Amino acid sequence: MADSLLRVSGLSWTPPDGAGVHGGLRDVGFSADGGEFLLIAGPSGGGKTTLLRLLAGLEERSGGEIFLDGKETSALYPPVLRRTMALLPQTPTVTDDTILNNLLLPFSFKANADLRRPDDETLRALLAEFLLDGMDLQANARILSTGQRQRLCLIRSLVLEPRILLMDEPVSALDPESRSAVEEAAQRLCLSRGACVIFVSHAGFAPTLVSPRRLVLKDGTLREETA
Amino acid sequence: MNGLTEISLWQLAFGLVFVLAAGAASLARGLGLGRDLFFGTVRTFIQLFLLGYVLVFIFRSGQLAYVAAFYCMMIFFAVRIIRGRVKEKDVHFALPVFFTMFLSYIVVSATVTGVIVGATPWWRPEAFLPLAGMVVGNSMNALAITLERLFSDLRSRRDEVEMMLCLGATDREASKEIVSSAVRAGMIPSINSMMGVGVVFIPGMASGQILAGADPVMAVRYQIVVMLMLVGSTALGSFLTAHFIARRCFGKGMRLAFKGR
Repeated sequence: MADSLLRVSGLSWTPPDGAGVHGGLRDVGFSADGGEFLLIAGPSGGGKTTLLRLLAGLEERSGGEIFLDGKETSALYPPVLRRTMALLPQTPTVTDDTILNNLLLPFSFKANADLRRPDDETLRALLAEFLLDGMDLQANARILSTGQRQRLCLIRSLVLEPRILLMDEPVSALDPESRSAVEEAAQRLCLSRGACVIFVSHAGFAPTLVSPRRLVLKDGTLREETA
Repeated sequence: MNGLTEISLWQLAFGLVFVLAAGAASLARGLGLGRDLFFGTVRTFIQLFLLGYVLVFIFRSGQLAYVAAFYCMMIFFAVRIIRGRVKEKDVHFALPVFFTMFLSYIVVSATVTGVIVGATPWWRPEAFLPLAGMVVGNSMNALAITLERLFSDLRSRRDEVEMMLCLGATDREASKEIVSSAVRAGMIPSINSMMGVGVVFIPGMASGQILAGADPVMAVRYQIVVMLMLVGSTALGSFLTAHFIARRCFGKGMRLAFKGR
């Protein structure tokens, strides 16, 4: 049987002493394939953000295994792992630079030298798709609103053509217009590009374009909800 | 030109008048500095007299092992002071800082003694130890500033660093700007002192030589060499330390080693 795109088994994480993080993760396991939309819900402090950070290799796990295409992620070159499994955090972060340079930031990194830099037409189409058309690309990205920044960050992740997109409550601080743009884009990424999307949502989010797999992370353990 | 006469112990003791005056002011105004002034003065006397006798011993022996031991001791205490100033618990930096200081300062000090001053051998204690002492003492502050800036920026700009990591940056690429900024911060005091030297203040080495009767022009030449040496050692030390310690701030898997978020 072919390996899943992503397979997690026995994943555990213990918070460091005095780090101000409560709880931890115990024996988390699931697998996901391209084109799947996983919706992870659960109370605050349940470990949702930590799970995504562990997948992206930003936290060190205490135990367990994570396989990407059958390869243990700890054996992969971190920059390649992270561009394949891209994490979009809750707080959108932009550099003190122009919108254009922020969009093209990934192409300044050596590990992405083999990727094709999007041409102006592709960028314009992406900006229009995310309701950012008409923006002055030479303006500083820090003048953008939180919603606009989040959409810019999503475009910036998408130009790397990730196979898995990890979205950590990406719409929690957004206005309704930005919220629906981001939610729709996440679903379309699944449908049209065959990417796997793992969408963490604290509030109720009901996808309309895809039928998601629903998982709940509570008290450090993950369980799948059956329909 | 004649040098100044020797300072007798009685004349030296007269210098205590200044400390006594400061102590009296502290007592009168309730500043609570009396204890610190007392111990500070006692330590100054003991440490500097001890230094004088140890240097006499090393100069007379002319042994490389003693020179090396004294050089290592200066760096050891400088690292201790830096560790006391830089409050960082998650990244162990004392030993790497010791080695970067050892390496960068020996390169600069040896170049000055061996090439510019023309001491033979290059580690001749009378030339090497005073110059190395100035390098260690002056660069210590620069390294403390560099490290403080490096750690505080990596923590305060963690979101930005991790954003770059998530976009495929290596740890070096993600911290490049922060490392540069830390090196710049460490270098600024040295560059500022180059701007003010001779105009705002007469630096210690030239003052000492002039007081001891040296030709001011020759004293100034030495001072210029010292200033350039200090800038060089500060730059090299800050650069190596910031780069090396920044790598240690990222654990295995190019992730930030700081606990908590």
